[in-house]
Formats: sequence, structure tokens, C-alpha cells
Amino acid sequence: MNSTVINTSEARMDQKRCCTFLVENTCFAVEADDVTEVLQRGVINNVPLASPAISGLLNLRGRIVPAIDLRIFFEFPAAPPSIKQISLIVEINDEWYCFLVDKLLDVKPYDPHQVTPPTNESSSVLTGVLPDTDRLIHLLSPEKILKSLLNIRTESLSVG
Amino acid sequence: MADNEEFISEFLIEASENLDQLDQDLVALEKNPHDPDRLASIFRTIHTIKGTCGFFGFTRLSNLSHHGEHLLGLLRDGKLHFDEQLASLLLELVDAIRTFLTAIESTGKEGDAAFPDLCQKMDATCLLATARRNNQTEERLASPSSSTDQSNQPDDRTTTVPEERPVVSTISNDQAKDDKLTPAANPDILSRSESTRFNNTFDATIRVDIQLLDNIVDLVGELVLARNQLRTTATNEPALLNVVNRIHTVTGDLQEVAMKTRMAPIDQLFNKFPRIVRDVATACNKKVNLHIDGSDTELDRTLIEKIRDPLTHLIRNAIDHGIESKDMRSVAGKSTSGEISLRAFQESGQVTIEVSDDGAGISVDAVSKKAVEKGLVTDDAVSAMSDEKIFQFIFEPGFSTANAVTDVSGRGVGMDVVRTNIESIGGTIDISSQRGIGTVVRVRIPLTLAIIPALIISSGGERLAIPQPYIQELVALRKDGMNHMIDGLEGAPVLRLRDRLIPVVYLDRWLGLREWKKRPTSGTVVVVKIDNYEFGLVVDAVTTSENQHSHATETTGLWFIVVKAISSLLAPIGIYSGATVMGDGSVVLILDLRGITMAADIPALTRHAGDLKSTSEERREVVQESSRYLVCETHNGHRVAVPLNQVQRLESFLESEIDPAADSRFVKRNGELTQLIDPDRVLHTPKELGKESTGSLVGIILPDELGNKAIAVRRIIDVETGHGSLEKTAKKRGLLGTLLVGDSATEVMDIVSASQWAEENPLS
Repeated sequence: MNSTVINTSEARMDQKRCCTFLVENTCFAVEADDVTEVLQRGVINNVPLASPAISGLLNLRGRIVPAIDLRIFFEFPAAPPSIKQISLIVEINDEWYCFLVDKLLDVKPYDPHQVTPPTNESSSVLTGVLPDTDRLIHLLSPEKILKSLLNIRTESLSVG
Repeated sequence: MADNEEFISEFLIEASENLDQLDQDLVALEKNPHDPDRLASIFRTIHTIKGTCGFFGFTRLSNLSHHGEHLLGLLRDGKLHFDEQLASLLLELVDAIRTFLTAIESTGKEGDAAFPDLCQKMDATCLLATARRNNQTEERLASPSSSTDQSNQPDDRTTTVPEERPVVSTISNDQAKDDKLTPAANPDILSRSESTRFNNTFDATIRVDIQLLDNIVDLVGELVLARNQLRTTATNEPALLNVVNRIHTVTGDLQEVAMKTRMAPIDQLFNKFPRIVRDVATACNKKVNLHIDGSDTELDRTLIEKIRDPLTHLIRNAIDHGIESKDMRSVAGKSTSGEISLRAFQESGQVTIEVSDDGAGISVDAVSKKAVEKGLVTDDAVSAMSDEKIFQFIFEPGFSTANAVTDVSGRGVGMDVVRTNIESIGGTIDISSQRGIGTVVRVRIPLTLAIIPALIISSGGERLAIPQPYIQELVALRKDGMNHMIDGLEGAPVLRLRDRLIPVVYLDRWLGLREWKKRPTSGTVVVVKIDNYEFGLVVDAVTTSENQHSHATETTGLWFIVVKAISSLLAPIGIYSGATVMGDGSVVLILDLRGITMAADIPALTRHAGDLKSTSEERREVVQESSRYLVCETHNGHRVAVPLNQVQRLESFLESEIDPAADSRFVKRNGELTQLIDPDRVLHTPKELGKESTGSLVGIILPDELGNKAIAVRRIIDVETGHGSLEKTAKKRGLLGTLLVGDSATEVMDIVSASQWAEENPLS
């Protein structure tokens, strides 16, 4: 498994760093400090009855980590075989989660003041949008993603 | 100075362990005062503490232990006789040293406490011994019994000597040699004791940081994963293959050993109890002997910590409230010293710990009375309950009021907390007691929360783990109809197992892993029982082993799996309690059977006899709990409903099968006679026109507790949901009331009173 060391240079006090990646040609990012490691997608064991975006559980050196496929989460089509998905291991409140993405791009410093918050903040899983040279970076809030997954789960349970 | 800190922390750990040992030694010494090994070991411990803290500059502690060492020296040399008072004095010394150690641990300094009283008391005792020797008399000497006596004359120790309480009597008149206090001066005793101590513990164990052990467990996990990758990439090269296989085996073994580091003997906990028993017994002015059995029983380190408080509480209770006063024991013809025994043993994957006493026992009547007073149960219900069940009320919160303490011979103080603690680690607790003979409290806890025995099953291409303690049996599905599935009520499949019907869940379809139209006829039914539910899980196969190496014992197919928590993200699904990593690195989910009973809507088992005989109020509640009813048509064409949770199963009879030889309406099934109850007769319903006999009837088999009885009806109409609350209409025997079942008001039968009616009217 290939690990990528995250570039720690050029971080200034008022600046943060984000880890950018692609999902269905859209550029997303998470806080670089939350990312603990990056791997190629390994074996993920299915969890029956879990919400579709939860691909399953993976064994990361004895630690059991739930994998969330961001393609499914954002209702994009499932990854074609040509795409070798990347596992982004993110630490949220002492728990590890794996986000499956199409391609890892870069670790970029950014100015938090430049982030435009989403219009409907309560329903969005974004912290905000960040302008980049040629495109927009959608800065994700992993906590909000988890929260929305938990909501999906309880809703479908109450229906079924 | 960092080095110094490290040494100090090592000193603290060792000293506190030694003090625990001292507690035990002193209590043991009370029983056998002439044990030279123990005396030497006590002496050695205090000597070490004195030496080490002198080195670190803890002068107060050093001074205190010096006084203690002096006293112990005399004791060891036989110049002092060991008795209860001396034991108390020495235990006081141990506590004082502990106070110092706590201060050092938290502040790094030894603190201001100097315990001058204690020092003086010890010195006085020593002086007494010396004085006794000099006088060469047989008179008994005494020392001040309380610190207030001491503080009156703090400067002159010798004058405090003659007082009322006898403490010391000398045995030997040898010359006192102060330098005997050094180990070298008494090589005989010390060398012997040291050799035993070394043999017992020091060369067999070493101290390892728990964090380090956990790291090892994690690293082994990584190694296992790497090994598995190696195996998948292995070539056909025989030499390489050999090495890979060896690495495979060794890694598996290593993993097992690493897991064992989590286990510890319960002795760690049990060895605290002699001191506690002694202190509590002294405080209560009782004499109590403690017997400990099975202290080598192993369980998870973390669990040992969790049962410390509950067990201490149970033991305190047993002494304080269980064992009677000396006078009462004499009156009852018992020995004046009470017996408490603490027993631990492994039993079917669990550890059982018994705390028993030979005290007065608990009065069932008093507990029942209290329970009724508190409104926990009705008078009628309690009279039908077993003693064990009644004793369970002791664990109800609020049962332990001050009055209850005397009423129920004292048990119950904080027992709800004890139960909560035990249950929080997946354990159970129960009490049995006989008036005048004693009480046994039994605590059952899992061996470990980290490793459980489980069955690994496969279903629809997935592997899942089922915890073994809940598994009743495995039934292979066969096509020959020996044990076939049948449609039960509402078309839900049930398994006919001997003469019972057990609801089953087809795991593959239920989990959405596979779709099928025709019910599969192969596979295995895993019959499980949890709480008040029994059901079968139909699986494709039970996995018994994994390649050449496995943690499973082939004969039973049991696996010992390491339980890992799963993300809170999966908690809402409610049917997984955790996950485990298999030898090949894959993750297998552990089924939460309790969750499945809810999610799959498994009906609860019918209640037992005791409950069925409870009051009609309770029965009505039972009925309301069961929102579903079996709606049927009686022989006379009347519509009645029977609560579904009270139906054992349904069977069809031909009218010709009804045994005419018997005095009443019986039918033979499985070689036994089943009495048929005709609801028309119980309820006095008129016959409707056009309802002629069809020649067959359906028997609604009632729970076994009611005897072999069945309600005979013309046909089953449907299973329907009841709406609203039960209306008690005309007071009719065999009838609970009327309820809107489905879309029409239906009379709901009270099967208990109907069954009683049938007993009184056998010729119905």
C-alpha cells in the first residue's frame, strides 16, 4: 500500500491547508490536518443493510474503518473499473473513516477568509467553496457527511 | 532529574504492590503467628521502603518505616508476640506508608504528615518488649490504646508504657542486638524467604507497561495482515512456499499469545479481600473467616477492574448484614466466627464468582412483603413466584431503604448499583438464600469482552459471526422432510423442532444478500435463544476451519474472535454488535441477536407458568402488549380472538380422532392426550344456523405450562392487529374483553381462565 506524505511546507499562521481530490471530475477537499493517510483502495467488506454510500468496512492494521464512497454519497454513478479508487483516511472525533475518491490531487494552502459558505448551510455537507486557478474547490465537512449518513439511516429504518 | 523521576515511579509501583502483599501477610500472620517466612518477607518489604526513600530523601517516610522496621525486627527475633493489636498497629503502619506514597505520586513530595502518634505507639511497643526482657518477669504489659493518650505525654515515651491494654508478651530473653535489623545479621530467615519469593514471582514475571502490551497486540495485527498479503502473492516455488507457510503458522500463534496478554488471574482482585474482610469484621465486632477458592481463574484485565467495586460491596454486605453477631450465632448453635467464601471458576465461557456466607439468610416473606408494599408486584403474583425470583427484587432501585435493611436482614443496600455495574459488562447476578443457613450471591460475567467464542457462518456470500453463548443447537435442513420448514402463522416460516415450532429468519434474504422465489431446502438452522426470544437463523453453511491453520477447534467449529468496536455510523442498523478481523485480514461482522429479535419482529416466548397464574390485571397488560391476535371461528360460527403470543402452535384434527373412550374431549397427539376446550361452551355462545360440522377442526395449542390443552375451533380466519384498548364488557369467564381486531369488534379469550374452566368441567 502506497502512503503519501503530506507536504508540510509553506503553512503560514493565518493559512490552512486542504487536501484536494477528484470525484467524478469535481474537485473536492478536506482539511489536510484531518487526513491521517492515503492508500489505494484495498479489500472492503460489505455491510448488509447499511446505507448505499457506506461501501463497507476495511481493516487498517487491525483497526476497523468504515468506508464511504463519495461517488455514491453525491449520487454520481458508481466508479467504473477504469478508475482505481483512492482511500483517504480521515480522523473525525478520534474515529477513523475512509473516504473513497477517484484521484488525489494536491495539498494546497488556503486563506480561510476566501471560503464562501454554502447558501443553505443547514442542508449542505460543504464548509464552503474556494476559488482556485481554473476551478472551484468544494471544501467538505466530514462531520456533516457523517451526520447526513446517520440521518439517512434512521429515516429508512422508520419507513421499513 | 528525569532519571530520578523514573526511579521514583518504579519505586512507587513496587512499593504499593509490596504493601498489598503486606496486607495479606499480616492477615495471614494473625492466623499463624509463627510463620518465619512471612515475618521475614514483611520485614524485608519495610526495610526496602526505608532504604529506598532514604535514598530519595523522603526523610519522614524513611523515619516512619525505620520505627516500623525496629518493631518488626523484634517480632522477627521472637522478642515480641504477634497478636491482634500488633496486627492492627502494623496495618496502621501500612496505611500510613500508603498515605505517603499517594502524596509522592501526586505531588512528587512526601507531604507534611509525619504520624508522630503511630511512631510513638510503635516505639512504646518496642520499649515494652525490651523492658519486659530486662525485668525478666511474666507480668503483662500494656501500651496506650489511643492517640489521645499519646498526645498527653508526647515527649516521654517510656512513661506512656503501662496502660490498660495488653499488647506484648515476650517469648525470648536473648540479648537485643540492634544490628540484627540488617538482613545480613539474620541470614537464616532472610535467605530462605528470599529464595521462596524469587521462586514464586520474581523469576516468573516481569512488569510491563500495559500500553506496551497493547502496542504489541496492534503490531501483531499488522503482521497478520502482511502475512496474508504474502500468502496471496506466494509463488509456486516450493522453498518459498514452505517459508510462507511457516510464517503463516507462527504469526497465528503469535497473535494468540499476544491476545493472552490481556488476561490476568482474578487473584489480583481477590488478594485485596482478606484485608477488607478483616477491617469490616473488626468494625462490626464480628469474627469472620474468609475462604478463597479459584484465584487463578483468568479473565480480561479490564473486567477485573470493573468487578472490583461490586464484589467489595457484596463482601461488605455479607459481613455487615449476612453474618449474625457473635451472640446470635451462639444462640443459633453456630460457631461464633462466621464463614465467608469467595469462589471463582470458569463455566461455559463465563466466569462465575460466588460470594457465600453462613449467616442468617434472607427472609423470602420479608422481601415479598416489601416488594408488594413498594408496588413492584401484586400480592397474588408474588405468591406464585419462586424464591430466586423474589430475591431479584432486592436489586430493584429504591428497594434498599433504611427500613428494608432491617426487614430483609439487611441485604439490599446499593444492590441496584451492583446489578447495574455487573450488567454493564454483560454479566448477571442472582441470589439464593436459606433462612438460618446462609446466602449465596452468584455473579456471572463473560471471560472477556475482547475475545468471544463464536460461530462463523456464511450466508449469501457473506461471512458473519454469531456469539456462541446464545446458540442452542444447529439443525441441518434436509429434503427428506425429517425437519422441514413449515409456514407458521401469517405465512412466516417456522421450524418444527421436536415438538416445538421455532420462528426462523432466512438470513440471506433478510439481509438483502440474495433473492429467491422458492424457499431453499439446504443449509443449516442456527437456533439461538436470547432473553425471552428463541429463533432460528437459516444460513448457507457453518465455517469450521480456515486452511491449515485456524483458531477454531475443528470438532466444534467454534472460533475465538477478537471483538472490535464498529463505527457509530453503523450503530443505527441495530443488528451488528461489533466486528472481528479474520486470519485472512477480512472483516466479519458480529450479529447482535437482541437487535435481530427487534428488527425481524420475532415473537417473544410465551410466559412461564408462574407468570400465567398472575392476576387478571397483569394478563390484560400482557394482552395489550401483544398487539396481534389470532382470529378464528368457533364451531358455532362465533368470532373470537386469541392473543398471538399465547399461541404455541396450530394443529388440525379430524373429529373422528377425538378419543371417545375418555370421559371428556381429548385428542391423541405424539402419544399424549390433549384436552380440547370448546370456546362455545366456555362462552355459552348460541349455535348459528347453517354451521354444520365439517368433520375437522383446528386446535390452538396452548403453552405447556397450562397442561396439554388446546382450544378447538372450526377454522382460523386470520391474524389481525388489535386497535385501541381492551374493553371489559360483560364479566364472562374465559373472556378478557372486547377489542377492535382487524375491522370488527371481537371477543378476546382469556386462555388461563378458559383452561381453568376446562379443568373444572372435564366433560365439556
